[in-house]
Amino acid sequence: MGALRYLLSRLLQGLALVLAVVVLNFILVHAAPGDPVETIAGASGGMSEELQAELRKQYGLDKPLPVQLGIYLGRVVTGDLGYSYFFNLPVSNLIAERVPATLLLVLTSVLAAFLIGTTLGVLSARRPNGWLSQMINVMSLVGFAAPVFWMGMLLIILLASVFPIFPVSGMRAIESSGKGWGDVLDVLHHLILPALTLGLVYLAQYSRLSRAAMLDVLGADYIRTARAKGLSDRAVLYKHALRNAVLPVITVLGLQFGNVLAGAIVVETVFNWPGLGRLAFESVLRRDYPTILGVLLFSAVVVVVMNQLTDLCYRLIDPRIKSS
Amino acid sequence: MTNFTILRRKTLAIALMATLPIFSSLAAAEEQKRGGTLVVGSTQALRHVNGAVQSGIATAMPSTQIFASPLRFDDKWNAQPYLAEKWSLAADGKSLTLNLRKGAVFHDGKPITSEDVAFSIMAIKANHPFTTMMGPVEKVETPDPYTAIIRMNTPHPAIILAMSPALCPILPKHIYGDGTDLKVHPRNSTDVVGSGPFRLTELKPGQRVVLERFDKFFLAGKPYLDKIIININPDSNNLMLGLERGEIQMLPYATNSTELKRLSTNPALTMTSKGFEGIGALNWLAFNTAKKPMSDVNVRKAIAMTIDKNFISKALHGGFSQPADGPIVASSPFAITDLIRYPLDLKKAAQLLDEAGYKVGANGERFKMTIDYLPGNDEQQKNVAEYIRAQLKKVGVNVEVRASADFPSWAKRLASHDFDMSMDVVFNWGDPIIGVHRTYLSTNIRPIIWTNTQSYNNPKVDELLNTAGGLLDPTKRKAYYATFQKIVTDELPIHFINAAPYFTIASKKLVNVPTSIWGPSSPYDEVSFK
Amino acid sequence: MKEIDQVQGPWREAMHMFMRNRSAIAGIVMLGLVLLVAIAGPWVLGADPFEIRAAPLTPPLSEDAFLGTDYLGRDVLTTLVYGGRATLLVGAIAALLSVTIGITLGAFAGYYGGRVDAILMRITEFFQVLPALLFAMVVVTLFSPSLVTITLAIGVVSWTGTARLTRAEFMKYRNLDFVRAQRSIGASHARIIWRVILPNALPPLIVSATLAIGAAILFEAGLSFLGLGDPNQMSWGLMIGSSRQYIFSCWWAVAFPGTAIFITVLAVSLIGDGLNDALNPKLRER
Repeated sequence: MGALRYLLSRLLQGLALVLAVVVLNFILVHAAPGDPVETIAGASGGMSEELQAELRKQYGLDKPLPVQLGIYLGRVVTGDLGYSYFFNLPVSNLIAERVPATLLLVLTSVLAAFLIGTTLGVLSARRPNGWLSQMINVMSLVGFAAPVFWMGMLLIILLASVFPIFPVSGMRAIESSGKGWGDVLDVLHHLILPALTLGLVYLAQYSRLSRAAMLDVLGADYIRTARAKGLSDRAVLYKHALRNAVLPVITVLGLQFGNVLAGAIVVETVFNWPGLGRLAFESVLRRDYPTILGVLLFSAVVVVVMNQLTDLCYRLIDPRIKSS
Repeated sequence: MTNFTILRRKTLAIALMATLPIFSSLAAAEEQKRGGTLVVGSTQALRHVNGAVQSGIATAMPSTQIFASPLRFDDKWNAQPYLAEKWSLAADGKSLTLNLRKGAVFHDGKPITSEDVAFSIMAIKANHPFTTMMGPVEKVETPDPYTAIIRMNTPHPAIILAMSPALCPILPKHIYGDGTDLKVHPRNSTDVVGSGPFRLTELKPGQRVVLERFDKFFLAGKPYLDKIIININPDSNNLMLGLERGEIQMLPYATNSTELKRLSTNPALTMTSKGFEGIGALNWLAFNTAKKPMSDVNVRKAIAMTIDKNFISKALHGGFSQPADGPIVASSPFAITDLIRYPLDLKKAAQLLDEAGYKVGANGERFKMTIDYLPGNDEQQKNVAEYIRAQLKKVGVNVEVRASADFPSWAKRLASHDFDMSMDVVFNWGDPIIGVHRTYLSTNIRPIIWTNTQSYNNPKVDELLNTAGGLLDPTKRKAYYATFQKIVTDELPIHFINAAPYFTIASKKLVNVPTSIWGPSSPYDEVSFK
Repeated sequence: MKEIDQVQGPWREAMHMFMRNRSAIAGIVMLGLVLLVAIAGPWVLGADPFEIRAAPLTPPLSEDAFLGTDYLGRDVLTTLVYGGRATLLVGAIAALLSVTIGITLGAFAGYYGGRVDAILMRITEFFQVLPALLFAMVVVTLFSPSLVTITLAIGVVSWTGTARLTRAEFMKYRNLDFVRAQRSIGASHARIIWRVILPNALPPLIVSATLAIGAAILFEAGLSFLGLGDPNQMSWGLMIGSSRQYIFSCWWAVAFPGTAIFITVLAVSLIGDGLNDALNPKLRER
């Protein structure tokens, strides 16, 4: 019973959060100078005043801001994210079309970073002063300090221009049919550089975190165990330590999902990856309000869900909290 | 820059000599191979493919493949038959009769009739951003299914040019005539039924457009290409690489001097500046004549004298742009060369400023001002603005370069007349009625961009433009426009810098790269691979 | 347990530990160099980074341009030297802003608990859920890009980590004996927060602040790269962003500013790492 009520309250909190994000962004984007009609006039090479006024009326932009907000929220509640002013297509379609690309990029990077990172971190904790540990230190600093876009551009120059092993940009070859096994390989081929760029940042973080956490646990229990029994408990110790090492990584992973979209924007821009990040960025520049708000809404929902999942994961894995 | 027409003539000459029979131009067309996929690179995301409600070069490219128009134009500003086999402008200039060809069908098989032409023209009049284009059109009569008579309330010389593929796509009435506002019609980007040589098979917003040959196109044997893919990538550098690697075969509107330089030496590519005469793009410096000190014409002249256009073209644009001196682009039939020019003369500029009453103050400064620029093309906008800043510093004018984060920010500034002077790029759009009048008519001083945001007011100019806009005889029109150009270059509401350097770079394997006055914004039905 | 209310001893010991840490020293040296170049460099060079010096796309080690020129002909070395100022300024001030906000909110939340904590935690969560880059973009577009708006935008979105950290620390300390002792004497809440708890809670916060500088620098570089930097101020991110289109023709205009950012952030991180090691009691016990 308590669990259900807890879940419900968390759900409501999450919804309130998402709502707050949408409202704040609504006010902000409308406050930026210029509006979508100006963008459309720009793309048209000029537009008469009458036509601009007509368009504004059609898009509801002539109404006072609170009214526009009310209308928008009313639609969102029924699941209608509206139409993109620029593309004249439903926002939900635009998002649905781009989500797979971003998801692919982000999941690949994060997953690879998680697996490789925690493995490296755990392994290096066995010998805190060994070469692996030092390497992780260096790599994690490099991963943190190197600007994502710089890393991406260098990789492009090196592995796509000087040694043309990988494609320069995009998710598929231009003339690809988009179907079949050939397509899967094509996408994977295009995925490697962007995923590498994005992944390095997280790899750095996770290996460090897991190593630190592992050291923490090992440091405390190791002494005790060393005094007490013998090798047979090493397995148990390591399993216990591993659990603790993975915890902070999961926490960070979940909490940082908001940052992942930010990282994705930059990587998608550098590699012309057709994802949500780029759509959001370009839409801000075009003042395409429905699209901007749609993407923000979507990402807010994702982040909130990730937070809750992380929380859940945390409670499942961390034995100390299990008792409640 | 290689001129493709010359290359083609050479090929023909060799073919003639190789075989004895005499070839007619028809036979030359028979030589063209059918098949192949043409990949075109573009940096602009397009909204949708319906050119009737959306102007601009991004939409024009696919729109002119998907929709046919009554007429098309060659590279000498001559109208050619397209959907209309014959046409005639009445002597009083108030009606244009179009005789449509028979047997033309839409992509869904339904016949193209004068009803569709009438519907389309009225739709364009109601929805197209350029109101002056079809402004005088009152109605379109359809006495029979293959005759359309456009009735205008005053003589409208631009009406023939307005029949171009980029400006007058013929839409199917049975699809678009359902009452939905055309500007937001869902069939503008999905399930598009057109009248042109290619069908739309895929549209990924902001990424690509795929067009495939329409087998029942009304010009038999055309188009030659199987497929056209428009690959959208905001990074022109990547497009350049694609060209070099052969992944892209055509890159129109290439404008960056570093890329142009690199591509011009590539033996597998041709480069031509032909095809942009219709668009007539000008980079210029606009003054807000309603604000001091820009309101003083001598201040404007002084500023003009600090700018060395040759330096800008050579040093900033790698020699790829041509200085421009007047409001009508040099490639237009209405352009004249007898204009008032302002060669670089810093001393005279300083003198003019002194005489205007703006003496150098104690801090070495006469006055402060700001300069804006259109974001997006640093080479032709931002860098020129910075150059102007450096030059004006030499005569004691302190200029601050105001940056705008993106297009709407800049557009807002200009629209609300919140600027001192600004770099800009504006298109002539073929006939001055469409793209030139809007900048200088005092009746067009509005709070929107690409109107008379300079607040220029000269009743004589108004009269000249309005008269020229109603005359049919091009020679008479030219006379009026000549006086207009002289006055404008004397009063300097705008200081013209250069014609925007646009080039089409194509693979040498491509035959008939589009180089009519509308260039890339025209049908590619005659393009093929070697 | 050590006497935490005697703040002198442990600090000195921490300093000693720090000084013995080789990578931390390396970090200080690197940062020192960067600061030297950024502050004194422009004065020494006396040139204009926006000026067109030589032919565009000149490679490095040429006559007029030691590090080459970019696509406009601007000298890369000059922009490198001048760019440091904007980058470092934004980094430092934005970090200061974010840390100030974070510590203040976290301190109140951790100390007062209850409703105050709940409200402040909701606010923190809100800013965490907000996609930072997009939000910063909108703010910068709204107020037009300048060093001030960028600094504010970065500071406003980056404080949540510090806030959480501070809150955890304050929650740890508020129920300890010596704190309760202060309250029984009649010390005001403000005094307890700022004069008693904060100095003790400082170590992890200092580390966090150092890392915040690095993060702010990267954030500014990212914004400039995307085209939202202050175009009137040369910064390293701006250099990379504007040369992005030409990376195949002049990789040096991208590589060198990027390396500069890398070295700076690396230096700051090494220092932060060193501080962490020096101030972390757990490690000291070993």
